[in-house]
Amino acid sequence: MPGEKPTEDPGHASSGDDGSADQDRRPTRWHPGFADGRANRRALLVLTALRGITPRQLLEVADREGSASACLAAVKAGRAGSAADREVARELDPAAIEADVAACGARFAPHGSEAYPPQLENLKDPPAGLFVRGLPLPRRDRTVAVVGARNCSDLGRDLALTIGRDLAATGMCTVSGAARGIDAAAHEGSLEAGGDTVAVLGCGIDVGYPRGSRALIARIAEVGTLVSEYPPGVPPEPFRFPARNRIVAALGTALVVVEGAQGSGSMISAEHALDLGRDVFAVPGAITNPLAYVPHALIREGATLIRGVDDLMRDLKLDGGPGLPRRRLDLTLAEQATLDLVTEPVLPERVGRGLGLSVPEVLPLLVSLEMKGLVRNVGGRFEPRLDARAG
Amino acid sequence: MGVTVVGVRGHPVVVEAHIGRGLPSLTLTGLPGAPVQDARDRIRPAVESSGLEWPLRRIVVNLSPGNVRKDGPGLDLPIAVSVLAASAQVPGDRLARFAFAGELSLRGSTVSTPGVLSVAIAAARAGLEGVIVPAANVGEAALVDGLRVVGAPMLADAVGFLRGAWDPPVAVPGRPQQARHGPVDFSEVRGQAQARRALEVAAAGGHNVLMVGSPGAGKTMLARRLATILPGLSSEEAVEVTQLHSVAGLLDGAGLVASRPFRSPHHSISLPAMLGGGSGYVRPGEVSLAHHGVLFMDELTEFRRDAIEALRQPLEDGRIVVTRMAGAVEFPARFTLVAAANPCPCGYEGDPKRQCRCLPHRIQLYRQKLSGPLLDRIDIRLIVPRLSKRELLGEGAGEPSAAIRERVEEARARQRDRYASLGYPCNAQLPGPVARREARMSRGAHEVLARAVDALALTGRGFDRALKVARTIADLASADEVSADHVAEALSYRTSLSEGSLARAG
Repeated sequence: MPGEKPTEDPGHASSGDDGSADQDRRPTRWHPGFADGRANRRALLVLTALRGITPRQLLEVADREGSASACLAAVKAGRAGSAADREVARELDPAAIEADVAACGARFAPHGSEAYPPQLENLKDPPAGLFVRGLPLPRRDRTVAVVGARNCSDLGRDLALTIGRDLAATGMCTVSGAARGIDAAAHEGSLEAGGDTVAVLGCGIDVGYPRGSRALIARIAEVGTLVSEYPPGVPPEPFRFPARNRIVAALGTALVVVEGAQGSGSMISAEHALDLGRDVFAVPGAITNPLAYVPHALIREGATLIRGVDDLMRDLKLDGGPGLPRRRLDLTLAEQATLDLVTEPVLPERVGRGLGLSVPEVLPLLVSLEMKGLVRNVGGRFEPRLDARAG
Repeated sequence: MGVTVVGVRGHPVVVEAHIGRGLPSLTLTGLPGAPVQDARDRIRPAVESSGLEWPLRRIVVNLSPGNVRKDGPGLDLPIAVSVLAASAQVPGDRLARFAFAGELSLRGSTVSTPGVLSVAIAAARAGLEGVIVPAANVGEAALVDGLRVVGAPMLADAVGFLRGAWDPPVAVPGRPQQARHGPVDFSEVRGQAQARRALEVAAAGGHNVLMVGSPGAGKTMLARRLATILPGLSSEEAVEVTQLHSVAGLLDGAGLVASRPFRSPHHSISLPAMLGGGSGYVRPGEVSLAHHGVLFMDELTEFRRDAIEALRQPLEDGRIVVTRMAGAVEFPARFTLVAAANPCPCGYEGDPKRQCRCLPHRIQLYRQKLSGPLLDRIDIRLIVPRLSKRELLGEGAGEPSAAIRERVEEARARQRDRYASLGYPCNAQLPGPVARREARMSRGAHEVLARAVDALALTGRGFDRALKVARTIADLASADEVSADHVAEALSYRTSLSEGSLARAG
């Protein structure tokens, strides 16, 4: 059993002694190679489908057992998860999940793969793997999360729409949860301005929920990115939405809360963002307005008050001054994400792995960048062209 | 009856002998070539060693028709049998119903003879009952349906059979010959994802490939595996290949050549060895031995310039004509060309880890050695980088050849259906104007190509090549229309050697 490896001591596991990995900013307790290889990937697919084992619990099981295959064996043996999980784990066929993933045009980025977004590593309970549909995920510093109430006011709606639009206009990507209200407005604003948007779902990657957002989700699958930690077919359930919120918070470099009533999910998102050290922005309201409850609470905790989209843009240094790295507006999101990975002479398959794309999928992107004069092919590797970068 | 082989075709030859008065001698008439003349002194000892009698009189053997030059050693046996028949040592009833082929040794045994498959095919076409061939060649002759094949180990056995005294064992086709390059598979290739993909595209569209890369990058390894992902040989193709290998004397007792040949001639090869020729008997060259398979030319720049230039005809027509004093001989030669070259004389230009030590004008000269016209017929040009340890790390085993071949066969089937009325087998064979008409490009695809003309300095020919490769990529994706992405990927296989920097396009 791989579980008998010396890494079992939790006190030492956190010292991150697999120092070779470059993503070692903050140690996690996934064993190195937790999801490496086909067998582990398939085991992990089954694990993502289990209801009775939270990501946090899975992390603990993995710490004890080692690889994903070993974790699955532990579930089957009854050492982890619920009795129902044991049944499911025995019956589920990973090949069927793989087929479902492929059928809905999604791909799976397990923890430890290059397509796994590194910004999720800092979560206390990072997802063990992510299902992604559509374009590759943009870098964290190009992404802002916008969240808020489902039953929002018209004013809040307009504001979220404007924020999405203005962010898109400066080449920033908007991430949200595809819920009714503020979430949907932020996505729509971004799409309207031809920008990029990422929706994190609280259900299976192929499930169009909430119903009212079905058309929006379908459109994002086409021109943006859908993300979920749940495999195809998983129904939406109450406990999945707070879990979804942590991913929303972690993907962005900043989080904007537009409106939120007491006890709403926006508070959870914001607390995750604060834990992760992300900038949190909140739009205030009248003290009598129940939808201002969360923003006010956050401002008291140290969030930055914004009086509108201008404040946000100024604080994010997106109002024209030198600031965050900007997406070139003559590039598509996919091209920008590709360009971001070409920092030194690099093989196309390596770029592809970083984006979760196959070689035939990534070659057109590289050729397109080559035609725009941004990269060149030297001896079979692609490298950036400095003259073009400066301009 | 005997059969002489011209090119790969067998031509029936009637062998008649006359024994007349005069000093003992053997005269051959009817345009015998030097190798046949050579047989004269061999046949008498062979007959005498077999316990038969050589008539000590003046013997004339005529080979008709008299206007076809007879070459090759396969006429020993028919000449010997005709002399024995003329001296009434064998009965005549089976003589007319069988064709004979085979070289004899002085001891009277038969010797493995090249071209027996062509002989058997000619005999079947002439409506004969069977062939009598050396026992060593039974495997190939038995590939022909409906023909009785008698494999005689000795001349005496052939005579025994004619006399009805010897009952030969039933001839069975030889075991299909497996690839002589041994079992290789794409799953053994680690890394080189772009090259793997490019070879899949090449196989799917029948495109020729140029690989440029430093020594040790894996060019040879990749080229070998191209033969394993080409669509399987059809039975007619397999017979064509087997015939060529039989004529070249490469069969070695085996039966059908069942896998696509992979030929990699050394760069010091002579022109006749490359194209076909030889003194007297015309043997097929490497271009024909690679028929329906892969011709791999490693170190392309080291080949003789005339050998490179001479590839143009087979690349264009799928055949090679060897012109001799006695007439032209034609061999089929439709192969996929895979050429490999170093990027510069020292081999390390463009390598991030090792410094190239070549002077710029030396690189210029080196690249000029690659003739433009040959390069024009190579649709896919690829840089194969030498991988560092770090880049190889974590690269799992690749996809097995069988899985790739399945996609390739599907893509080929789409092309066959599309071009059924036009008579082209695959995208690579399309002439430029036809390709432009038939490609079915989306608007986006047109835009990308048009932009590439400026942005990548694409030439007119480069345009057509990219178009054909894009069409193949679309076929691999089972797409009716060529999309912008298909074109963009095709444009990534266009690195040119001949124009300055490796990065630039042609």
